[in-house]
Amino acid sequence: MNVWELAAEVMIFVLVPVAWLACKGDPRQRLVSFYMAGVVITLLMMLLTMAFNRMPMMDLAITLALMSFGGGIVFARFFARHLR
Amino acid sequence: MKSILIDVFLAGAVLITIISVLGMLRVRDPYQRMHYISPPASLSSFLIAIAIFIQRGLKPESFKALFVVCVLVGMNTIVTHATARAFRIAEVPDWDPEEGEEVPILGGDEKVEEERG
Repeated sequence: MNVWELAAEVMIFVLVPVAWLACKGDPRQRLVSFYMAGVVITLLMMLLTMAFNRMPMMDLAITLALMSFGGGIVFARFFARHLR
Repeated sequence: MKSILIDVFLAGAVLITIISVLGMLRVRDPYQRMHYISPPASLSSFLIAIAIFIQRGLKPESFKALFVVCVLVGMNTIVTHATARAFRIAEVPDWDPEEGEEVPILGGDEKVEEERG
């Protein structure tokens, strides 16, 4: 096991409390936890790319980062308009 | 030397992420909780990108990692602001401060006393 795999495995376990936070509390708290999960998974994609030495997989991290951005804006607009 | 640097940068990135998640577990207020997204999005991603640059050199995947860092930093600032604004709008009808409400931008700010029409 190289250091990239080790870092990726630790990062996977970091997702457990984030997922737990995203499942409990009011919608505002869950939405913030959802953003955190997006960031952590993006970092995880970068680490897994290096761990498995599959460099084209870095595109997945780019895609996820960009989609998280769009999704975050859409969620924020939806929250302001419909979840009062 | 190269592998030690990579180890240090990756350990720092993972440690920052762990501390941020523990901070999110600790606080209850969603406005405070939003602050903890920033360290992984900026510092951790930057440290991982540096580690990738050290490992791979000036290769396309290194620049892709740098692009991910830029996207995460930009996304974090914009989405956090938009989300805080959405929470504020969901709580009160208007985004602007209400009469007599103290806006916590600076500690010494005076209360908003403007008349509303």
